[in-house]
Amino acid sequence: MRILVHLVAKDLLRKTRSPFGLIVVLCFPLIFAGMIALAFGHGDSLPKVRMLVANEDDGLLANGVASVFTSQQASKYFDGKTVTAAQGRALMEDGKGSALLTIPKGFTKDVLDGKPVTLTLLRNPAEGILPEIAEQTVGALTDVLDGGRRVFDKPLADLRPFFKDDGKAPADSDIVAISLAIKRGIEGMSDLVFPPVIVLESELLGNVKAAPQKEAKKKGDAPSSIFLLVLPGIAVYGLFLVADQGMRDVMTERTLGTLRRQLAGPIAPESIILGKAVYTAVLAVMAIVVIGGVGAAVLSAPVSLPAFLLLSLALVLAVTGTTAVIYGVARTERQASTMGNMIFLAMGFLGGGFIRVEGLPPAVRGFAPFTPLYWGTQGYRALLENGAGVAGIAQHIGVLALMGIVFLGIGAVALRRTARRGASA
Amino acid sequence: MFQVQGLVKSYGSLRAVDGVSFTVAKGELYGLLGPNGAGKTTIMSMLSGLLAPDEGRILFDGIDLAGEPLKVKAQLGVVPQEPALYENLSARENLSFWGGLYGLSGAQLKQAVDRVLELVGLTDRAKDPVKQYSGGMKRRINLALGLVHGPRAVLMDEPTVGIDPQARLNILEAVKQVAAAGTTVIYTTHYLEEAEQLCDRIAIMDHGKILAEGTLDELKRRVGGRDVVTVRGSFDAAAVRPRFEALPGVSVTSVEPGRLVLSVEGSGRGAVDLLSHVLADGLSIDGISIQPPSLNTLFLNLTGRELRD
Repeated sequence: MRILVHLVAKDLLRKTRSPFGLIVVLCFPLIFAGMIALAFGHGDSLPKVRMLVANEDDGLLANGVASVFTSQQASKYFDGKTVTAAQGRALMEDGKGSALLTIPKGFTKDVLDGKPVTLTLLRNPAEGILPEIAEQTVGALTDVLDGGRRVFDKPLADLRPFFKDDGKAPADSDIVAISLAIKRGIEGMSDLVFPPVIVLESELLGNVKAAPQKEAKKKGDAPSSIFLLVLPGIAVYGLFLVADQGMRDVMTERTLGTLRRQLAGPIAPESIILGKAVYTAVLAVMAIVVIGGVGAAVLSAPVSLPAFLLLSLALVLAVTGTTAVIYGVARTERQASTMGNMIFLAMGFLGGGFIRVEGLPPAVRGFAPFTPLYWGTQGYRALLENGAGVAGIAQHIGVLALMGIVFLGIGAVALRRTARRGASA
Repeated sequence: MFQVQGLVKSYGSLRAVDGVSFTVAKGELYGLLGPNGAGKTTIMSMLSGLLAPDEGRILFDGIDLAGEPLKVKAQLGVVPQEPALYENLSARENLSFWGGLYGLSGAQLKQAVDRVLELVGLTDRAKDPVKQYSGGMKRRINLALGLVHGPRAVLMDEPTVGIDPQARLNILEAVKQVAAAGTTVIYTTHYLEEAEQLCDRIAIMDHGKILAEGTLDELKRRVGGRDVVTVRGSFDAAAVRPRFEALPGVSVTSVEPGRLVLSVEGSGRGAVDLLSHVLADGLSIDGISIQPPSLNTLFLNLTGRELRD
């Protein structure tokens, strides 16, 4: 035990003398999650584009464009609001809108007449990516309208009389003729090479106020923070990178000749391997303390501490075991590093580290439960999002602990071989 | 103290160590002298328990190294050929770690660290990170690491390779002090002068075998007062060999194209007579060297090659 403490203390002392790599790896999940949170709003709620629509036309096509942002179907992504141009501008200046779309008077008539028309989009520079989403959506809509107008030029001209309020219904023969014209239009779509007649003009609004602060969340709210949504997956991924730094030290010591020197001393190879495993686990625990501490500072809902500790312990076991297998199997430091990065990246994608597992294709999703990263990520998400306790994540803890024990066993045998190679080097 | 019996170690078809046996007494400074590839480092790896021999055994104070490796290793110090150090730690931190690994702690550890820092002359740089040290200083700390726990025997594998003369002198002085304090030392080198200067007994090695063993005087006597004469030129060495062998007091040690190594009786006189004969014979000679009896001439006599070959 004394020797073990002595070995781990030496490794930690060395790490404190060259901490840069560890700091980078520790900061990575926090920076990554923080950037995502900043990009998608202010980290307080799932972001919606606050879209203000000033419809000055009120024609059929203008209403259609406006409804793209104000309809029930759009409410998942857009918080659409119909305003006058003056109201819209005032709201934008108060920072209460992501973008203001102005549909000019005569829009429907001009489109049907084939005259150039301009949609104006005013973006809020105080917001991150949300105005960009608005611009991309309006841009896509403009392209569709423009292409549609060109392709269906003839049928639109034929339709024009029926937009008049004279109450006269089109004859069946007219409808057949218009339908055939639309069909021919679709067939001739490849001939669409004209310059656009519907143009989107986009500009940034100056002197905008910062968005009003939302009320502080109350304890017990469901954790809806983007930061906390992203953090579990990326933190578990980061934990593998931290563990990689710890276990890599076996190879580093082999290169330095200090592994050979230790093996020439009164110390069994198993003690040296155990020392590296404990050192790796200590680094992983440090990472959990740092990342968990930041997470707790952002978190508004209570999380079960025993469940968090048990899950973290099982995860530390699993990441240490995984890295032990990698560094036991690899023959050189470079080989291990390459292999490790590939495995961690694959686990990150397959296990839901970067994209939530529910968002993965079903065929890929089936691989997720074979990765410790999946069980770690899902476990932390269950703690944060569902307020799960020990019983709720018992399966996660059990699978991770089992993976850890199996991997550590395989890794220990493989690392012993690495140590022997180091002795005879 | 050390009894090495019939050590054999092969790597594939290469027999790196081929039936080596020797004994080293307590407090003795025993040298393994030989060129690169002679098998010295392989023997040191086996003596330090890092490598298991294919055949043979090593006894330390009667304890079989293979049977109780940790017990034997606890009493040994190892100084590897290349410095094995933690470069971002200071010399004191390095020494404290290695001392602690052998069970030292507290005041005992501090005293031991101070003692070896003094021995290698690095007390004033003890707090500096090792990465700031010169190559020679790293070698000195490397030596100190093998001595910090006060081992009963030290295995030193070419500790002076590739360093400047001053640093080399420092290390040799430290080795002498260690040996003078009663520590058994097994020292490998391919420098003749180091072996001559340091060692109580020397084993001359080549191709994994010990060719000769003894004190410096014993080994010199073995040369028998014979000079080694090397003749180089554009002659057919194999064809002229019988003519030299026919000369009184001359024996041929080695024959290579354009090179003939001869062992000549007579402490100088014989070599001069031989030279006269060569010149009278009209051989096309590019050069001739005459070496008086030494470890090098013994090595030449034994192998037909010089140590630096």
